[in-house]
Amino acid sequence: MRAEQIAETFPAVALDSNALDAVRLLATHRLPGLVVTDTAGMPVTILPASQVVRLLVPPYVLDDPSLAGVLSESMADRVADKLGGKTVAQVLPKPLPDMSTVKADDTIVEVAAMMARNRSPLVAVISAEGLVGVITATRLLEVTLAPH
Amino acid sequence: MAIVALTVFIAAYTLIATERIHKVKVALGGAAVVLALGIVDSHDVFYSPETGIDWDVIFLLLGTMIIVGVLRQTGGFEYAAIWAAKRARGSPLRVMVLLVLITATASAILPNVTIVLLMAPVTLLVCDRLDINPIPFLIAEVLASNIGGVSTLIGDPPNIIIGSRANLSFNDFLIHLAPVAIIAMVAFVATLPLLFRGMFGVHADRVAEVMSLNEREAIHDMRLLIKSGVVLVGVLAALVATSAIHVEPSIVALIGAGVLVTISGVESVHYLASVEWETLLFFAGLFILVGSLVKTGMIADLARLAGGVTGGNPLLATMLILVVSAVLSGIIDNIPYVATMTPVVADLASTIPNPGHVQAMWWALAIGAGFGGNMTAVGASANVVMVGIAGREGYPIGFWQFTRKGAVVTALTVAVSAPYLWVRYFVFG
Repeated sequence: MRAEQIAETFPAVALDSNALDAVRLLATHRLPGLVVTDTAGMPVTILPASQVVRLLVPPYVLDDPSLAGVLSESMADRVADKLGGKTVAQVLPKPLPDMSTVKADDTIVEVAAMMARNRSPLVAVISAEGLVGVITATRLLEVTLAPH
Repeated sequence: MAIVALTVFIAAYTLIATERIHKVKVALGGAAVVLALGIVDSHDVFYSPETGIDWDVIFLLLGTMIIVGVLRQTGGFEYAAIWAAKRARGSPLRVMVLLVLITATASAILPNVTIVLLMAPVTLLVCDRLDINPIPFLIAEVLASNIGGVSTLIGDPPNIIIGSRANLSFNDFLIHLAPVAIIAMVAFVATLPLLFRGMFGVHADRVAEVMSLNEREAIHDMRLLIKSGVVLVGVLAALVATSAIHVEPSIVALIGAGVLVTISGVESVHYLASVEWETLLFFAGLFILVGSLVKTGMIADLARLAGGVTGGNPLLATMLILVVSAVLSGIIDNIPYVATMTPVVADLASTIPNPGHVQAMWWALAIGAGFGGNMTAVGASANVVMVGIAGREGYPIGFWQFTRKGAVVTALTVAVSAPYLWVRYFVFG
């Protein structure tokens, strides 16, 4: 079985789209991550949900985790507010996280190895024509464990 | 060989100052060249107190860095900063004054770069809650860290180098430099409202945001905080007593680090994360480069030239060292500047009969290098680190934006230091 056969279509958000809407999309559909594309529709990065959650954490808390508990409960509840009015490009870490990619004709083991090496539960499947789809860790396991 | 050594040194210095190549590569590369050319040998490098690596400096830094690595796990600094912000009742000017005082005090006993790394996130938090621009606060804190760092032997790396070369103790720095650092801090704090005029407005409803911060949550491990505090106090007490107990400061720092690491239970990945190996290697390379100049007699020639310029007048020499050090330290990193100047000042001092005047020259070097480091965004490592953090957090600080404030503070602090040196060592000395 090849990567292109198990890849799934994934919602994508553009770099210039609203950050709060992008996060809401992920939350509403309970997606494992987001594909981020440039204005031409080409994928520039894939953000696993854990990385999207990271966007909610104030940068100074990322620098000094001991400050996480200092914020009051009401401040913590409003942590998503800071995404309002910002684009996806503005909230993404710089430089952009490397995108885990595999070729369309890669095998399941090559896909698994890429996920393990990059510690990413999502990989993009790329062909000569561009983005074919996305393989999630769950999808990979589902296919691997299916009876042959 | 003297010309060759000087050429290698100037080339290395230029590369370090212009930052075209990473400074560690330059220092180690330059050291490799002088070693390969036989200008210095292994005995010169490893065992000679005049030309070799100053192991006291290296291990004092290492010990202090390890102690800081454990301290960083406690959350104590964050607690102090948030507590101070709440005591200030959210008034931006009062917050700035208190954070600046905390930074200066901490910088007197711990490396400036670490203090900046600890204070920056909590400063950004407080400014975020107050919804005010954090840049003035970040700039003020790094300026304070360089001022506070002048006051003790371990306050900043230039002092550690000077103390080792000039055989000056922790108490010597405390007695002679702490007063001028305090005077400079008073002058600096008094100018804060003018220096950052117009930056202290805040909405009254944001004050409640700061007052609702819970500083106790910053402390994860109270027992670790207590253990760290006890060891730190013990290290400081031992440093004060180094002359009496005949133990070098580097040994005190290493013992303190060893004790703290043993009793704290902190994993090596945490306490070693604060060890700046690149800085230690940079120092080693720098010492070898300067040692090659000492061995070939270039330093002695430079000292004779300086003596000729000042005509053997110690007051003129002191003021010249103060001003030149302040200017050059602002332009190039104060660490390579001091590493180069200490043997020059040592040679110059050997021609001065009055020991009080000799000390004045060392203090002029320490003050000039320390306060001069404030002049530009590249004058001291702490400045570079702070600007980097600010940029990463979305608050870029331009070179001239920093320099406009830094130059004023440098001029002010050097201006109050000159009469201090004159009155203390030449009028009453």
